[in-house]
Amino acid sequence: MSINPHPTLPEFDYIKPKTIDEACKFLTEHKGEARPLLGGTDIFVRMRDGVWKDKYLVDVKHLDGMNDIKFDPATGLIIGSAVNMNRVIAFQAVKENYQVLAEAAYSCASYQLRTRATIVGNICNASPAGDTIGACLLLGGILNVQGVNGARREPLSSFFLGPGETGLKPGDIVSSIQFPVPPRGMQGKYIKHGRNNLSDLSIVGVTVVGTPDSGVLSGYRIRLALASVAPVPLVVDQVESILSGKAINEEIIAEAASVAMAACNPIDDVRGSARYRKLMVKNLSFKAITAVWDELRK
Amino acid sequence: MVKVDSQYFPSPIGENKPRIDAREKVTGAAIYADDLQFGNALLHARIKRSPHPHAFIKKIDITQARTLPGVKTIVTGEDFPGHIGLYLQDRFIFCRDRVRYVGDPVVGVAATTVEVAEKALSLIKVEYEVLEPVLDPEFGVSPEAPLLHPDLGKYVVAPFIFPEPGTNISNHFIIRKGDVDSAWEKCSAIVERKYRIPHIQHVPIEPHVAIARVDGTGEVTLWGSSQSPFAQRNLIAQSLGISKNEMRVIAPYVGGGFGSKAGVSMEALAVAIATKVKGHPVKLLLTREEEFYTAFVRQGLAAYFKMGCDEKGRLLAMENKFYWDGGAYTEYGVNITRAAGYSSSGPYEVPNVKTDSYCVYTNHPVTGPMRGFGMPEMHAGLEQCIDELALEIRMDAVEFRKLNCLKTGSILVTGSTMHPIGLLQCIEKAAEAIGWGNKAPPSAPNKKRGKGIALMWKAPAMPPNAGSSAWVELTEDGMLNVGLGGQDLGQGAFTVAAQMAAAGMGVPYEWVRIATPIDTRYSPYEWQTVASRLTWSMGNAIVNAAKDARRQVLEMVAEAWGEIPEDLDIVNGVVISFKSEKEIPLKNLVIYGLPKPDDQGWRGGPVIGRGNFMPTYVTGLDPKTGQGERAVVHYTTGAQAVELEVDLDTGRIEIIKGVSAFDVGKAINPELVKAQMEGGFVQGMSSALFESLLVKDGVVQNPSFVDYRIATSADVPRDLQAFIIEVPQDDGPWGARGIGEHSMVPTVPAIANAIYDAVGIRPGDPPFTAEKIYLLMYDAGIVK
Amino acid sequence: MAFHKINVSVNGVMEEVVVPSNMTLMRMLRESLALTGTKNGCSAGECGACTVLINGEPVNSCMLLAVECDGAEITTVEGLAHDKQLDPIQEAIIQEGGVQCGFCTPGILISARALLDRNPDPSEDDIREALVGNLCRCTGYVRIVESVKAAARMLAVTS
Repeated sequence: MSINPHPTLPEFDYIKPKTIDEACKFLTEHKGEARPLLGGTDIFVRMRDGVWKDKYLVDVKHLDGMNDIKFDPATGLIIGSAVNMNRVIAFQAVKENYQVLAEAAYSCASYQLRTRATIVGNICNASPAGDTIGACLLLGGILNVQGVNGARREPLSSFFLGPGETGLKPGDIVSSIQFPVPPRGMQGKYIKHGRNNLSDLSIVGVTVVGTPDSGVLSGYRIRLALASVAPVPLVVDQVESILSGKAINEEIIAEAASVAMAACNPIDDVRGSARYRKLMVKNLSFKAITAVWDELRK
Repeated sequence: MVKVDSQYFPSPIGENKPRIDAREKVTGAAIYADDLQFGNALLHARIKRSPHPHAFIKKIDITQARTLPGVKTIVTGEDFPGHIGLYLQDRFIFCRDRVRYVGDPVVGVAATTVEVAEKALSLIKVEYEVLEPVLDPEFGVSPEAPLLHPDLGKYVVAPFIFPEPGTNISNHFIIRKGDVDSAWEKCSAIVERKYRIPHIQHVPIEPHVAIARVDGTGEVTLWGSSQSPFAQRNLIAQSLGISKNEMRVIAPYVGGGFGSKAGVSMEALAVAIATKVKGHPVKLLLTREEEFYTAFVRQGLAAYFKMGCDEKGRLLAMENKFYWDGGAYTEYGVNITRAAGYSSSGPYEVPNVKTDSYCVYTNHPVTGPMRGFGMPEMHAGLEQCIDELALEIRMDAVEFRKLNCLKTGSILVTGSTMHPIGLLQCIEKAAEAIGWGNKAPPSAPNKKRGKGIALMWKAPAMPPNAGSSAWVELTEDGMLNVGLGGQDLGQGAFTVAAQMAAAGMGVPYEWVRIATPIDTRYSPYEWQTVASRLTWSMGNAIVNAAKDARRQVLEMVAEAWGEIPEDLDIVNGVVISFKSEKEIPLKNLVIYGLPKPDDQGWRGGPVIGRGNFMPTYVTGLDPKTGQGERAVVHYTTGAQAVELEVDLDTGRIEIIKGVSAFDVGKAINPELVKAQMEGGFVQGMSSALFESLLVKDGVVQNPSFVDYRIATSADVPRDLQAFIIEVPQDDGPWGARGIGEHSMVPTVPAIANAIYDAVGIRPGDPPFTAEKIYLLMYDAGIVK
Repeated sequence: MAFHKINVSVNGVMEEVVVPSNMTLMRMLRESLALTGTKNGCSAGECGACTVLINGEPVNSCMLLAVECDGAEITTVEGLAHDKQLDPIQEAIIQEGGVQCGFCTPGILISARALLDRNPDPSEDDIREALVGNLCRCTGYVRIVESVKAAARMLAVTS
């Protein structure tokens, strides 16, 4: 590994299109050299490091609907792509109905960075360490994508293809993310383990979302997603099977936690070793599932 | 000591005066070096650095870069043949024949913009012949290791540093006190341990910056974020063959130093480049990445301790071997080796000590002074061993320390005698404040709680004749201007200087102005702002200057009033006579003097006082034994205790409570003293829990805030206490000693000892990351 | 590279500036407008020394482009005091001893000011969390946290 002693923003042109169609068109015409700009927190880092070398940054923050966050008790929550994380955390309907999303967003970085960072931006960059991606997956998030061929919807469950690789095509702009109305009694927990108490990138992140469900044996559907321990944000389906198939108790939760540990594939890096990450997945999965189960039973 | 107390007008000494520079800093008005405006002539410098830890430079091709529009000059080591260094001149400004660390400067470019300079760097081609590197100090001292400085024997070196030419050892400090070998059999308990202390970095929030301009006559001006304007002038001028008179250093506010901005590091690069573009100021501003690996870093250390005590717990013997990872150049690091050597007993009385402290060249980043100057690295292991020894002999850790700690009159590891100190009081205070002996229950079932304590000592490490000087000048409105050469790095030097000047002169603190920025053309000489020496040394100079001014005033007024100076005083800016009860405000006489009666002329004139201070009593140490009468000026001692919890699920350490107690002699400004204890504790805690430069094959893997973690506001204990103990220093102003560095020294071992108390694990080498602690517990079967 | 003429209000003063696409707000403030109170500690959004308010919200000014600020209202440390009257957060940090080298101070003051604007009675946790993006190496943060509490008390008295 060699060090870049002078990471700086390279030269590029800032483009501010007037409509979303204009933006899609520009991105398609300059495929491979243009990128949509939301909060820029990922873009700035990767351009300084020389990983992304786009010639054009296309600011889409001001386009229709991108800045709105709305909740309808009949249809659910829709968060415009440009809505920053602080706004999401403070939005009443998020606090009341999608707490785990607020909890995950609150664990990101710092207040200053959250003034810029966006939920959608993190999803589009598909960083395996993304704190909010697990919650978005488990809450059933669906992306509204505008492309040159029109609008389409992309459910998150099939969106992540590999590290940094998503279902987005050149010219696509995600205009918003929406979440269905949460099932009654839903509870969630996000546990982030970093080096500092706050503000670090996660060494391990565990999201758990649980709902009462009389249709399964245990009476609860509990799902779990992991950050920073696999090339993509990882939903561990076996956890749901274990926790729905039998009556839940401490042993069953421990079994689910062990399964989560076995399912993940972390690497050694400067933040943590693979061995430690696996052990943390087990411990923190146990904690998060227990916390959700305790809330569900109240 | 100056008599100033008056029942109506309390002296500012011991008062919590608000910082003299606070208003400037909170309004954004304070100017730091990167804030200075230089206009269109300003050029920007960038440095092309070695990508290899060790290599010969075969060829440098600048032909393409030279023709890039906007490039004004390109320089290499060819242009600057002089060596440079503080205690050992082992460095060139730009590498000449070889590079010795990843980051070593090879080529310098000055251009109209930073972007052009960087483009030029990319067009410069350097060919290297890669050599085998030394990546570890223990390998570095072995005969198999390549020789990094074949010319070691030729380097100019300070007389108290002992390099071993033909090896990679740039200093070998020896203690041979008593008879260690025969002492072991008298010991009832012996502990033998090894510690590896990693490199860390100072992380000042303001990165290094230097701007240099050489004018048409050859006169050099250097502006920089600097702890050492005079030393920088001396060293750089000498290396470039300029006379010191022709070089001027101007040092505005410093945004954090911690030692990184002492001596000379990147400043020489800016000056060197500037000599080739006369008339242009050339700015070199390090990026944060460069700050992590090309500015000074703290030495790494492989330390071997062996210590033993008798059945009553009295320390009988210590045997220490320190292999300091000094990095590529140890021009400053050699003295750290020495300081650790002569402090290698820790703050304890030990009759038999054998120490070998080696400064070893490696192909790691350049090491230099960092807060504590070898003390944190050494105490990290030493104070853990003391705890283990106490446990072996079944003595309480506090009682063991109280028994063995240095007291007034103790014989030190160098054979000198300890001056009056309050270390025992510090231990008692820290133990009491942490609730030693009481175990509080953990806050949750998955936590374990523990307490730990550690002591420290440190003397200012400096040449025997490091001096200070000051002037005080009264103005027409009776204000007091104080000239000094020391820097305020945030520790509050200007504030306490103003308090001492005010007290010495007899004026209110609010009347004092410090003549800043420090400017070697006008400011009086100060060796360096390091070693926690300013309050004591510069303080003495200021007091002497104030005394001088006061004497002039009192003599003038006494003569005018027909009285004797002994019956007069200056209080709150007014000269008063205790005898006749006459009084006259200072401002009425300090510029224009006083008229003689009957229109017969005038007496007096503008009052300006001058003073200096230099210790005169520092002796050498025998190079073969490390024994001497008084090799240091004094010691500051102290103790820290922590209470912490270990999270059994993650290994994370949470510090519940931290307590510091230090003997500072006299707290000129108690709140500032406490602020140093708090800040040092947190910096020490940060180094204990988070910090290490991960150097692999000579390359720093984490040269950024993303992966070099430091403590944030969320990591600091809720309960942080600081206690001031005052056993006066005989030659300190009002009895004062330094405190700036000391509060970072015992924190790592205090935390380590508390971890042991909590979970029965000795964490050993810092940083005690959550992963490290968890895996230690897991492998020991404490958690599953 | 493209250049843009932007209009931005800085500390209440309308400025018209021409900036290249890749110039950060931090560089525009420090270089184009010579407002050097905002400091450059890392240029990577990690240290918080460059924190300013944009439309009342704290951001790392090194992490957004100047051109993105067209039409926005920026407040820097130079804009906290009004004439000679210091903002309560500035008074408080002097009083409580929360300033040492001063380099992190402008960013801290901005973050703290914004916290008090959105939460006039913050808890200790609220304060620590709000300041987590402002690194300080000198003070150990304790006096900074106390300063914010003191400022909150001052504001409660005057409101």
